[in-house]
Amino acid sequence: MKRILLATCAMLGLAAATPTFAAGPTDVDLMNDAATTGDVLTYGMGPQAQRYSPLKVLNTENVSKLVPAFSFSFGGEKQRGQEAQPIVHDGTIYVTGSYSRLWAVDARTGEEKWQYDARLPEGIMPCCDVVNRGAAIYGDMVYFGTLDAKLVALNKDTGKVVWSKKMADYEAGYSYTAAPMIVDGKIITGNSGGEFGIIGKVEARDAKTGELIWSRPTIEGHVGQLNGKDSTMTGKLNASWQGDMWKQGGGATWLGGTYDPETKLIYMGTGNPAPWNSHLRPGDNLYTSSTLAIDPNTGEIKWHFQTTPHDGWDFDGVNEFIPFDLKKDGKTIKAGAKADRNGFFFVLDRTNGKFISATPFVSKITWAKGFDKKGRPIYDPANRPGNPVEAAQGETKGKSVFAAPSFLGGKNWMPMAYSQDTGLFYVPANEWGMDIWNEGINYKKGAAYLGAGFNIKPLYEDHIGVLRAIDPATGETKWEYKNKAPLWGGVLTTAGNLVFTGTPEGYLKAFDAQTGKEVWKFNTGSGVVGSPVTWEQDGEQYVAVLSGWGGAVPLWGGEVAKSIQHINQGGSLWVFKLPKA
Amino acid sequence: MNRRQLLAMVATLPLTAGFSRFAVAAPLDRVMQKGTLRIAVYRDNPPWSWRQQGKLVGIDVDLGRAMAEKLGVKPEFMELTADENMDDDLRNAVWKGSILGEPVADVMMHVPYDREFGLRNDMAVLTGPYHRESFALACDPARTDCQGALTDMAGSAIAVETDSVPDFYLTGAFGGRLRGDVVHHLSAAAAMADLITGQAGAAMATLAQVELGQKASGRKLVVRRGPFPGLAKQGWDIGIAVKTDSRDLGYRLDDVIAGLMADGAIAGIFASYSITHVPPGGQGDR
Repeated sequence: MKRILLATCAMLGLAAATPTFAAGPTDVDLMNDAATTGDVLTYGMGPQAQRYSPLKVLNTENVSKLVPAFSFSFGGEKQRGQEAQPIVHDGTIYVTGSYSRLWAVDARTGEEKWQYDARLPEGIMPCCDVVNRGAAIYGDMVYFGTLDAKLVALNKDTGKVVWSKKMADYEAGYSYTAAPMIVDGKIITGNSGGEFGIIGKVEARDAKTGELIWSRPTIEGHVGQLNGKDSTMTGKLNASWQGDMWKQGGGATWLGGTYDPETKLIYMGTGNPAPWNSHLRPGDNLYTSSTLAIDPNTGEIKWHFQTTPHDGWDFDGVNEFIPFDLKKDGKTIKAGAKADRNGFFFVLDRTNGKFISATPFVSKITWAKGFDKKGRPIYDPANRPGNPVEAAQGETKGKSVFAAPSFLGGKNWMPMAYSQDTGLFYVPANEWGMDIWNEGINYKKGAAYLGAGFNIKPLYEDHIGVLRAIDPATGETKWEYKNKAPLWGGVLTTAGNLVFTGTPEGYLKAFDAQTGKEVWKFNTGSGVVGSPVTWEQDGEQYVAVLSGWGGAVPLWGGEVAKSIQHINQGGSLWVFKLPKA
Repeated sequence: MNRRQLLAMVATLPLTAGFSRFAVAAPLDRVMQKGTLRIAVYRDNPPWSWRQQGKLVGIDVDLGRAMAEKLGVKPEFMELTADENMDDDLRNAVWKGSILGEPVADVMMHVPYDREFGLRNDMAVLTGPYHRESFALACDPARTDCQGALTDMAGSAIAVETDSVPDFYLTGAFGGRLRGDVVHHLSAAAAMADLITGQAGAAMATLAQVELGQKASGRKLVVRRGPFPGLAKQGWDIGIAVKTDSRDLGYRLDDVIAGLMADGAIAGIFASYSITHVPPGGQGDR
């Protein structure tokens, strides 16, 4: 194909202006990614990020025979959490690793084609391990973000830098770990940063040049940018924030978003508000802990839905919002679903953000009793960490409460999957709670500081992680798989009636999508916290996943540490297929 | 017992060699042997440690130099980016090193000498208190009265560093009556600048930050050092930290600091930055 294309160019007299290598995926290719089984071009295996493959060469009948085709080591001493999802195009696997590295690997042999190492400056301070969640591909370039908040475009065939843009100032605590997304020639990114002093943003750049097209702050009162000029204000100034607290209100968009070609909307989740102590910021604190629907051409917010208004538990709302068609009461609704850190599984009308339902996907939720018909949480005031101003005499901290889920979430960053065959969402959940209180004396940069204190506790002795199959029409759990350690990896489902996910204990596991029966497992030698993918190559179906324990869980310790203390670190790409008969 | 005595003893008691290998392999020895003291100071933290025309300056920097000089070794500075809290900073600078593989320092400056904080961070040893820090409120007397009831300041902008104790105090105290008047900045220096340029009527920060701002303004500001009713922490001592297996280095530096305090060297360093030196006032004091 490559040769034919080059020949065609030559005949048309275009050779001089055309790069030596074949052009890569087009906008059309990216939008069709979910349907084309020969490649994996987008984070989420399609812009809607359903993580569903129509392939059924591999199925519940033969998956027990699945064996490694090859394993590729990331090498070096930099073995930290490997949370990326591989991209597969034209016989090459593009995969990112810890410490802002990217490899191009031959998808047939496992041989390295090239490696790119970002030169990281001293003094970067990533909050939660040095992870990266994946690359984007478009035309002849692959893109990824670095821990020092740069966006880098590399030639897909050589690994040479085409452009590199500073997204934000790493010295101010900004970083970047999500996989970028390409929509209509624009590269769309969110931002990550420390807990304080920042505000969330969604930005679009010209994928060819890296020039900024629009920028949309996520906190009301801030003004956006479009084509180098001020555009519109986000929300309404001081509508849900007092004083000037909106200026540094939080709402980071650190996980990136999804895109729906049908509604032509970008769906982006936003982080928790700052500061931690919710009593200092009365109001809903828009648009923190929300899902925003954004016009990819202008950066205008078309609708928003806030999953945790006036968050007091660090229930970051960044989770992916996955568009799907909901069949309910004989109707088909253009819906979207989000399994939130706060423990509720939300279903919304994705055309206008209208609330459809919110049902628990974890066994215990203490902060709210449920959601009313309008989509507002019914808070349990007894379970909001107390106001330190009302603390007892001689006490500096406010009342401590036991809140479930913990701030690591009913589900954290790890993406769920939606099967078009079973109509179920497969949600990697965790069962833990926390003691949380406001304002214990601590120190920051040599000065006294009042933070939030917390202590994360597993809810059950024998497991923390639970993979649940959720029916979005009813919120019911069809089946569940319990895992001792917390689940921290993404999920994949296929038309072969399979669900794949990894465990910190090192396994990549396959389950029967309808019954939850475990039908295959393979130990990769280190914890699996990446997102598996599948594709077809030379008439065979392949499955790939990263192995390499890390991420935020090992940084927290406490009682959770008991379930993970013996896990070894690593860093490798594993690729599987069925042996030829 | 100093090292030479210990070595002499070991020579006469060859049977204890196995034990002595640990006893003498002390970081104080290592510091003396390599001839340098690696000192962690915060990046961008005036008046304690910051870059002025590219040169690293500040009270912690000068004191670190004086400490190294007393040991007879050369100072080598490690600039530390502050993490979310100082438990993280101790891990990055003193006992484990950063996630990016930067090595630890022999000693870290500007560490609160606080009993509870020390107990919680058992991989580090806190010692050598050299200053007592507190918060202060500064006003331009022509516009705001700093000495009256704080609630009387309602209606006049008060500048603070975001997410600092002054921020939480002023937005939370008195039923939130001052919340709408609190103006947030990304640094204490920016908050002080807001006061100096007349945008804000008052600013609240640590006493050292307030005094640094006052010096820069060339104007007479009124500085209120208290009382602040309901403020969770009225003051805290500042010292140094070493790794738990470097206790001998810590003790030696504690002696060095006591000497520098007694001979007025520390007061002199503070005076050169126009910052009031407040001698440390005791452990765990609130």
